Amino acid sequence: MALISEITLEHTLPRVFAGMEQDLPVSASEVWLRDVSFRRGLNYMVEAESGTGKSSLCSFIYGSRGDYSGRILFDGTDVSSLSVARWCELRSRSLAYLPQEMQLFGELTALENIEIKNRLTAHKSTDWILSALRRLEIEAKADVPACRLSVGQQQRVAIIRALCQPFDFLLIDEPVSHLDARNNGIVASLIAEEADAQGAAVIATSVGNKILLPFTQTLKL
Amino acid sequence: MSASSHPSLVWRLLRRNISLPQLTGYTLANLVGLAIVLSALQFYRDVRSIWDAEDSLISRDYLIISKRVKGITIGTHSGEFTEEEIAELEQQPWLRSMGRFNAAGFRVGASLDLWGRGMSTALFLEAIPDSFYDVKPDHWTWSPTAGPDGQYPPVPIIMSKDYLTLYNFGFAASRGYPQISEATIGELPLRLYLSGRGREMRLQGRIVGFSSRLNTFAVPESFLEWANAELADEPSQQPSRLILEVNTPGDPAIQRYFDEHSYESAGDKADTGRAAYFLSLATGAVMSVGVVISVLAFFILLLSIHLLIQKNREKLRSLMMLGYSPGAVARQYYMIVGALNAVVLGGAVAAVLVARSFWSASLGEIGAESASPWITIAVGVVIILVVTGGNMRIIRREISKTFPRPRR
Repeated sequence: MALISEITLEHTLPRVFAGMEQDLPVSASEVWLRDVSFRRGLNYMVEAESGTGKSSLCSFIYGSRGDYSGRILFDGTDVSSLSVARWCELRSRSLAYLPQEMQLFGELTALENIEIKNRLTAHKSTDWILSALRRLEIEAKADVPACRLSVGQQQRVAIIRALCQPFDFLLIDEPVSHLDARNNGIVASLIAEEADAQGAAVIATSVGNKILLPFTQTLKL
Repeated sequence: MSASSHPSLVWRLLRRNISLPQLTGYTLANLVGLAIVLSALQFYRDVRSIWDAEDSLISRDYLIISKRVKGITIGTHSGEFTEEEIAELEQQPWLRSMGRFNAAGFRVGASLDLWGRGMSTALFLEAIPDSFYDVKPDHWTWSPTAGPDGQYPPVPIIMSKDYLTLYNFGFAASRGYPQISEATIGELPLRLYLSGRGREMRLQGRIVGFSSRLNTFAVPESFLEWANAELADEPSQQPSRLILEVNTPGDPAIQRYFDEHSYESAGDKADTGRAAYFLSLATGAVMSVGVVISVLAFFILLLSIHLLIQKNREKLRSLMMLGYSPGAVARQYYMIVGALNAVVLGGAVAAVLVARSFWSASLGEIGAESASPWITIAVGVVIILVVTGGNMRIIRREISKTFPRPRR
């Protein structure tokens, strides 16, 4: 059973844009200060230019920041009212997130970075993780500390880590910014398989290099 | 990789930035503090055993008081405690319990046959409730049932040790009388002559014990009640002496109260009571030093943990971004604190036991029986549990502050 079926933004605006409601980019945004809903089972692309608050949007939805006006609702519940325990539950069972800066632990190996999430959720087998590493062509880097991986390799490790949990919504913040078109396709097919299998929604952002997913709706930020 | 390795992954992340010198400093400081607190407690308990021991030389929780005699008073009741005075005494916070000395309301004479040399003397008898005796001889009962020969059973008597000493070293020595040991005197037949209201009675008496607390000839209450009913001129009298069991012997409030009411406490008991009071004060002072050191150590640990959490802030946040609960990441720090505090407790208890082995021989020579260390150990465990609980609360609070959630 889904923990979250719909995420709604009600008149949301990052605090940094307060007082700039009539100016670009806010006035032209299809997300800020609008009522927007994201539903399970659909794929959303949020297109943005730099500095329009793309990563802020992901942080607001993931609950790691609260510096905005308006409201964000999970199935009608204001996220600012959720308890610590509820956030922990959602982050292990309903909301998967690939932050733009990846947030890998540099001193742990690629495999350990994935394991540290998967041990919490017990969602995937070690075999699945190894096959995913193989599929994304970074199997050879499994035992290399994350700090010694290239940004593109880190990106793929972080994608596998994000998939090591059940989810209703997958938030991917510029997931393929450092990948070539071929790797983009491989990553996209892996994500699409996982999302389809769970009937989940994907919310992806991009400043240019878009992940090659069939998007239901594209929103301009 | 096994499932059990997952805590170790988190541990590998969070053990970074742990400052060994800081934690060592905490452990040593808290060890010293707790060792001082517990040693002072154990020393106090060991020394207290002298006070608490039955029939001990300085059994000082008891005071016997009477009214100060002014000039010469004959035939008045001025030396007696009125019911109001007794009621007021019972209200005092330092009083634990009180017993009345019931005096014989008749004349008493006694004679003793010392190997052919008869000795007779006028005597007085008193009784106090059984719980106030420091000695508990067997057969401390008396019932007025005459035997087949028409004789009442012998009356058991507890006399003051001081009186025997007075006889042996003052009286007997100067008169050439034989000296008598405690054991011997119990064997000697004592004849009691009781008279009052125109009647006279002869009974057998027996010295069954010696008290260092009571300066009197004490008989069972049951005997005195019966004899007073038979012979006393006045059916009941107010007591002229009271025995008080007090909470803190030597408490200045007690002396102040006595002075205000012109009461006197018997002998030098109040003085040694003051020694006990001083011991409490000294122990308290030493314990305070230990407590201060422990409190400082507690803050060293808090500071160290605070710095550690600040340095690991990003990692803690990243872990919680992955879905780890504050409790799950805090557990790593709980384990550090738990291990350190266990070392502190073990070390402090060991220090107490070692210190105790130094003083117990000397204390044993002045009659102290070592008190059980279990109470001290239990106090140590409670202190460490409280300290650990405090540490854990603060760790949890610091980590919860880092938890990523929308704060509006």
